[in-house]
Amino acid sequence: MLVKRKPAIWNRLYFVEIIQGLWITFKNFLFHKKVTIQFPEQRRDYSSRYRGQHYIKSVNNVENCTACMLCPTVCPASCIHIIAGEREDKEKYPVKFDIDILRCCFCGMCEEACPKDAIKLSNIYEMSQQNREVYEKDFLLEQRGNK
Amino acid sequence: MPKCTIDGKEVEFKPGENLITVAKRAGVDIPVFCYHPGLTVVAQCRMCYVEVEKMPKLQTACSTNAAEGMVVKTNSENVKKGRAGTMEFLLLNHPLDCPICDKSGECDLQDNSYGHGSAYMRHSEERRTYVDVDMGPVIEKNMNRCIHCTRCIRFGDEIAGIREMVAVKRGNNVDITTIDGEALKTEYAGNYADICPTGSLTLRDFRFRKRAWMLKKTASICEGCSKGCNIELQHEGNVVYRTIPRENLEVNKYWMCDEGRFNYHYTQDETRVLEPRWNNEKTSWEDSILAVKTALEGKKVLFLVGTDLTLEEMSAIREFTGLYYPGSVLQHFGTPGIETSAQDQPADKILKMTSKTSNLRGAEKLGIVPHNPRVDHDFSAAVVFTGGRAVLPELGHAIQVGVGVFLDKDHQTAKYQHILPGLAYTEKDGTIINHQGKEQKLKRAILPRGRSKSTAEILMLLANKKTKVGVA
Ligand code: SF4
Ligand code: SF4
Ligand code: SF4
Ligand code: SF4
Ligand code: FES
Repeated sequence: MLVKRKPAIWNRLYFVEIIQGLWITFKNFLFHKKVTIQFPEQRRDYSSRYRGQHYIKSVNNVENCTACMLCPTVCPASCIHIIAGEREDKEKYPVKFDIDILRCCFCGMCEEACPKDAIKLSNIYEMSQQNREVYEKDFLLEQRGNK
Repeated sequence: MPKCTIDGKEVEFKPGENLITVAKRAGVDIPVFCYHPGLTVVAQCRMCYVEVEKMPKLQTACSTNAAEGMVVKTNSENVKKGRAGTMEFLLLNHPLDCPICDKSGECDLQDNSYGHGSAYMRHSEERRTYVDVDMGPVIEKNMNRCIHCTRCIRFGDEIAGIREMVAVKRGNNVDITTIDGEALKTEYAGNYADICPTGSLTLRDFRFRKRAWMLKKTASICEGCSKGCNIELQHEGNVVYRTIPRENLEVNKYWMCDEGRFNYHYTQDETRVLEPRWNNEKTSWEDSILAVKTALEGKKVLFLVGTDLTLEEMSAIREFTGLYYPGSVLQHFGTPGIETSAQDQPADKILKMTSKTSNLRGAEKLGIVPHNPRVDHDFSAAVVFTGGRAVLPELGHAIQVGVGVFLDKDHQTAKYQHILPGLAYTEKDGTIINHQGKEQKLKRAILPRGRSKSTAEILMLLANKKTKVGVA
């Protein structure tokens, strides 16, 4: 049921609200520390557990990955694509290892599932690109972290 | 029927059944390694321990037959301890290979270790390692993973009819290998990979191509011969990766031959015709259908159906020829030399039949007569329907239209003026009648490749009056 109310002139002017709002603006402008930083000159410290750009760990230039496909199995975004093969020095290795990074949600499950300590999420968070790139094996094998 | 009690449940059994079979009927799964329903019982792995009342020690369920009034416990503390002990022994020498092992995901050792073993390992000695023998093109051997269940030895001996695998040396040094390290000779070698409960014997054909858990499974029928083995097509992303046998005690039991197992490859051959062709040039469906209709008009047409087609396809073709090409001849072809079911005999003592196509009985049931290449026919055009498995007949000079699966390989396509691409057995549903007269169902596993169409659809296009003859 509609209730008829008397129009309150005082409320309609919003006078108090305007004053209150302006007061908050001035208070923050004059007396508070700034929250923004001057990126890229200034940078924040991220936690060492931060999940950023992927890489595949390698030891003596041999990738740790054995193409067991646990990471594509666990990946909720289905963005890891591996083709396995065999070579002289390694029974099973990834011939192709692609991460469709635009689909990735940086959950870090791949890192958690990996039995070989191969796939890692580094601390790097600057990942903007001009094209829709897929991370390929060569790129992933650049060691960009020490996790 | 006599009764026994398993985990508190009363179960009926036939005398002579072992406790594993009886327990399964009661819904109780007993873990096994060496026991396989299709092989003799050896009670070698000691995984299937159960406790039987009034017997002082644990019993192996595979070698203990059920008896009237027997009271069996499959989950008592004693049993659990026994199984854990067996698991620990089996894993003493087992490598941590699961990430690179093709069995992983369908491995009995993994499953039983997870279910009945311990997550910790007490020993720290070095594990034994082997140099593996080359077992030929079908099977890859990795002896490090073997648990000496001897299923493979028994399979060769009892099913494949050739004793080619043996255990040499003793105790910790035992080596399960082929006699003199030779390659496997049996034509049923793929089954070694199926029955091995570990990744010790795996298929070379499937090696590292996919992980077992990624594959989707479709129950279907093999089209390799008139036996009609029950199979499972395992596929992912519209690609078939392997075929494994399905249990059917009336037809193939638990097995299938290598020819049938690897038969699916041709359906994914790079040279398979996937677009309509006209004089070996790609064309559109509209143009080809018109051209075929023009070519057949007013001619005496010989229609040939491959006995690799399904019953549904054959009867559609029969109906079509009767309605639209009255006076034409309809015959079947398939395996050279095997024209009637009387000629179709077992090719060996195991599964294979001499008819290398699956549906000879189906063609006969529909009253289609065999094509005799030795008799001269007075026809001026021939239309050949094939599923890809039947051996294409020599037809000489006449205008030839091919409908179905053709490969550029082996010069199959050269003689055909028109080719209308059809579906392979992995891509269609249908019925097949095997050598026993059993009707079995093909199931579509993957979607049609390229621009191929089903036989029914092609017949409909050919029958459609609106596609006018002579107007391009
Ligand atoms: S971080 Fe998550 S979404 Fe990204 S690749 Fe790994 S598992 Fe997939
Ligand atoms: S989980 Fe690790 S070892 Fe396995 S495929 Fe992924 S990166 Fe490679
Ligand atoms: S045989 Fe089974 S347990 Fe052994 S490595 Fe292979 S998958 Fe793992
Ligand atoms: S190779 Fe496989 S089937 Fe043969 S004994 Fe070893 S584990 Fe058993
Ligand atoms: S299954 Fe009974 S001892 Fe192996």
